[in-house]
Amino acid sequence: MKKRFFLILLVFITIFAFRFRSEPIFVAPKNWPKTSYDFKKNPLTPNKILLGRALFYDPILSKNNTISCSSCHSQYTAFTHVDHSLSHGIDDRIGNRNSPALTNLAWHTNFMWDGAVNHLDMQALAPINHPSEMGENIKNVVAKLQHSHLYPDLFYQAFNDSIINGERLLKSISQFMLTLVSSNSKYDSVVRGEGMFTSQEERGYLLFKKNCNTCHTEPLFTNLQFENNGLSVDPFLKDYGRFRVSQNPQDSFKFKVPTLRNIEFSYPYMHDGRFKKISEVLNHYVSQKSKVSNLAKELSEPFVLSPNEKVDLTAFLLALTDKHFLFNPSYSYPREVFFGRANGK
Amino acid sequence: MKVKFLFILLLLFSFRLQAQNKVLPVLLSPVFGEQKLYLGTDWYHIALADSIQIQVLKFYVSKLRLLEKSKVVWQEENSFHLVDLENPTSLKWNLLIPPTITFSQISFDLGIDSITNVSGALGGDLDPTKGMYWTWQSGYINFKLEGFAPSSSANKNEFQFHLGGYQYPFLACKTIILDQINEAGFVIEIDLKKVLVQADLNKVNHIMSPSIEAVKWSHWVQKSFSISPE
Repeated sequence: MKKRFFLILLVFITIFAFRFRSEPIFVAPKNWPKTSYDFKKNPLTPNKILLGRALFYDPILSKNNTISCSSCHSQYTAFTHVDHSLSHGIDDRIGNRNSPALTNLAWHTNFMWDGAVNHLDMQALAPINHPSEMGENIKNVVAKLQHSHLYPDLFYQAFNDSIINGERLLKSISQFMLTLVSSNSKYDSVVRGEGMFTSQEERGYLLFKKNCNTCHTEPLFTNLQFENNGLSVDPFLKDYGRFRVSQNPQDSFKFKVPTLRNIEFSYPYMHDGRFKKISEVLNHYVSQKSKVSNLAKELSEPFVLSPNEKVDLTAFLLALTDKHFLFNPSYSYPREVFFGRANGK
Repeated sequence: MKVKFLFILLLLFSFRLQAQNKVLPVLLSPVFGEQKLYLGTDWYHIALADSIQIQVLKFYVSKLRLLEKSKVVWQEENSFHLVDLENPTSLKWNLLIPPTITFSQISFDLGIDSITNVSGALGGDLDPTKGMYWTWQSGYINFKLEGFAPSSSANKNEFQFHLGGYQYPFLACKTIILDQINEAGFVIEIDLKKVLVQADLNKVNHIMSPSIEAVKWSHWVQKSFSISPE
């Protein structure tokens, strides 16, 4: 009887040891809001994240194997497409919107500038299928992956069997995207009490809280809502924004409020990339807007900012740059996966 | 000790035996009026001077339930079925039900409910590789009907109806309840003539997104289901 007791005890100890050994992969920064992504339905594991990372960087997702997610979402520019107002796709086709920065996606409830995508898992379907982006379809992508030398192995390591299907493909890409958390800017270190703003940044922070924080709400620097910020309508693109999804006239020309994190590197700005510099963005907000009925109420009167205040505010915005994020090796091109294995075969 | 163990084992087995399910065969039979419906080559008359040809018929059936006097007596777990006329096995369901229940009605949804629509990537019949998921805007396509009709004013006289929508005011998922089903098995008919006689293919020959038109069509499709009398 005693023997049996010890046996049971041993089993319990082993279970507990395992429980405590595995550290959670995703840790939300302290005092941040709750994440929206349901991790229980897609628990992160290192092998799934690695698979997702390989998929993110692999042009196999596009019709002619030339464009990967990273083509328009490169790490060094906060996972957006620097210097291009509109995203580029296969055969040098030009899309109709500026590619958004991929940051802190676990907190987002809908995706794209107009919120057309309702779940992070389903996001990748849009660029994969868009004729001016990857021009492919997910059924073909799955077939290509099944016939590749690389992926049956990677799927096996991630899922314990080498079945490749749409669900696993999409969830793996989500796994990688969920790890893209930016929370180590100078601003964050000040909030944590580890660093100090310069007096200029401090003045800029006060101006930010007065003028910008309602929509670009801390700590995500977006309220995740859709707003009309009074941009004139581009006669070529004729982009109605959120209206296309909701068919509600009150949503005309509303776009999702983008995060300001890493704004230093995520230029150009706005849904159509019309502004190249932060100064142009600030000039937009201090200028008189046309009186449209659904203009964000915070913008009904233009901001009043002196030239010095604009410089101060810009100094604060630059304190949102997160070098840990921009240069984190675990987000970068997985050379070891593509070359380590391909050569070995 | 041993005897006790055996007793428990026996008890477990007897429970298993009792829980042994029986098979309820259900067939889906797409028809066009009096005729059986085939994809591809056959022409079906809608009006004196008009006829149609069907190339694609695919739809989701979900939340299968059996009822007795409007009370649910059984519901299928994880109940999602992609019905595709091109795939004969998808037209035949073998439902595993408890042997003791009595029922006279079946209820199911034509399409995918709103919660499932916002639940991220799903597998099986709900896998986005099945071609029943929109890409530019999230959401399942509940019902797909494609073909040709001389009355269609579109290119090559084609028509394409992709019905879906999970958000108010364009909710397209419809519940269907059918009465007087046989406990030994039955055939559910879907009569596309009932749908297409109401359509004006000259005016509307494409539905590709959630809209008022998609909701109207979904209602027509909802009314085209019945229990085969034979």
